[in-house]
Amino acid sequence: MDQENTNLFEFAEFDELESEHIAAPRYSYWKSVWRTFFKNKFTVAVAVFLLFIIAFALIQPMLSGYSPIITPNINDASLKFVKPCAGHIFGTDHVGNEVFDAVWAGARNSIIISFVCTGIIMLIGIPVGALWGFSKSMDRWMIEVYNVISNVPFLLLAMILSYVLGAGMRSLIITMTCTEWIFVAYFIRTQVMIIRDREYNMASKCLGTSTWTMIIKNILPYLISVIMTYISREIPSLISYEVFLSYMGLGLGTTNASLGQSIAMYTSYMNGYPHLFWIPVSVLAVISISLYIVGQKLADAADPRTHM
Amino acid sequence: MSNNNNDREVVLSIKHVDISFDTGGKKKFVAVKDANFDIYRGETFALVGESGSGKTTLGRAIMRINPCSAGEILFEGKRISGKISKEEDRNVVRNIQMIFQDPAASLNERATIEYCVSEGLYNFHLYKDENDRVAKVDQALQSVGLLPEHKSRYPHEFSGGQRQRVGIARAMIMEPKFIVADEPISALDVSIRAQVLNLMNKFKEEKNLTYLFIAHDLSVVRFISDRIAVIHLGEIVEIAESETLFKYPLHPYTASLLSAVPMPDPLIEKTRKHLVYDPSVLDQSGAPREMREVRPGHFVHCTEKEFEDYCVKMDKMEKEKG
Repeated sequence: MDQENTNLFEFAEFDELESEHIAAPRYSYWKSVWRTFFKNKFTVAVAVFLLFIIAFALIQPMLSGYSPIITPNINDASLKFVKPCAGHIFGTDHVGNEVFDAVWAGARNSIIISFVCTGIIMLIGIPVGALWGFSKSMDRWMIEVYNVISNVPFLLLAMILSYVLGAGMRSLIITMTCTEWIFVAYFIRTQVMIIRDREYNMASKCLGTSTWTMIIKNILPYLISVIMTYISREIPSLISYEVFLSYMGLGLGTTNASLGQSIAMYTSYMNGYPHLFWIPVSVLAVISISLYIVGQKLADAADPRTHM
Repeated sequence: MSNNNNDREVVLSIKHVDISFDTGGKKKFVAVKDANFDIYRGETFALVGESGSGKTTLGRAIMRINPCSAGEILFEGKRISGKISKEEDRNVVRNIQMIFQDPAASLNERATIEYCVSEGLYNFHLYKDENDRVAKVDQALQSVGLLPEHKSRYPHEFSGGQRQRVGIARAMIMEPKFIVADEPISALDVSIRAQVLNLMNKFKEEKNLTYLFIAHDLSVVRFISDRIAVIHLGEIVEIAESETLFKYPLHPYTASLLSAVPMPDPLIEKTRKHLVYDPSVLDQSGAPREMREVRPGHFVHCTEKEFEDYCVKMDKMEKEKG
């Protein structure tokens, strides 16, 4: 080695702790969820579209003041069964009301019912399911309760409840949530049982952590993405449920608008004026599909395996 | 190490413990049979055996994850197995902590390091206020060679060795007296095993800790432990002080286990003979087997007849090796 050049070097100081530094930027779970979600342009487009539809469904009925029992044009034959055109975007129906107003008023109620029901079902189902999955003694009797409740025919129950409680938003929500939560609970129970005996839960137990803290801190954060998936399936399926019940005559009753109500009402004009049937069905499909897509993408984004 | 074990304070005492698992059928799977030993304060007691021999099961029984089907476990003279009062339960949790085998699996991936380390503090409210808790966490992280800035990180951002040190910090912050270390270095890279072992030894000296060190790697066990128990198919076959056991292995299974240790010397390695354990060499008469003391502090699981043979063998070996 060249002697003269050695003094160009000097000893670097060695800091043992330096090797412990993590160079990667700080990780934040929710930030990563949103970043992953917004990375996909298609998802963002669907989400914006969905937000627009929901906002429109909430606002438009306030402006139109539509109600199926208010029929000012019922005696004007020229305003009945008008095909969709510039003046009547979705046409008019058998009593001369705007189908456009009917559909959005219906969509508003259907969306509200499905969101409220999903909220109630999840709020009951998740905690019950989490405890159910954790406690072996609770599992013994809960599984019997599940067997009984899940074997009651839903339509029969809906009919009895609608006779007892009468028609209306509140009774429909009770009907749709009173047994549905146990399916969520059962689903969560299975998920909890899968991760309950993992080593990190054992470690928490060794540190004296209570079951409830373990559910909140150890279990539920792991289940965010499966719960999201469940919700993204549940909301559209509850909209369909509501449509089905209203179609069967067990829904909101004739005084309230709903998509199911509209579909049931317009089915009889299927032959002569098919647009009356197809327009509410298409709106239902568009709302359900976009809710499902956004929910699925959110569920994917909530899975930390997609973050890297 | 002295032989006068009687003078030393027993921290943990395992008395005729059986652990069995319900397999659903009539037969129960017995994982540990009649385990019976004491662990003294300030020592590292190693439990070695092959996979499936029941060493982890026994460690978990001490942590009260697996229930004992017979016998009892005493900690500082008080029974901790079976049903105990809530107050005693808290006392046991605070004083007995565990270091887990797989650092990737034993940390909550969705919680920050700060939460992982403070979990025990939260459970027992072992802090005066928020500042005190943060200070304790910082101190615990620093004591295992991590940085306070790691608090806001998630476990998946760390290397295996760092995660294991988080696991150690989480146990140490409780200021336990006794630690069950369940193969704490098996899942680690060879280059950082020594780091974790040294850390454990540092804590042992600083805080007068007692370890139950569960391992299958004999070279590590020899380095870290004061006494060794060899467990085979749920039965403890030999207990002795480390050097005694390595020098005078009496039970044929112990001899076989020790002969399987590779030597970092090609000349020795060439001539090294691996003894295969054959249970048929044991006394097949069906006479009762129990732990018998061949030399003070050196127990072998054997029948009366084998015991005499072992005593003769021991005399012979002592003469040969000096």
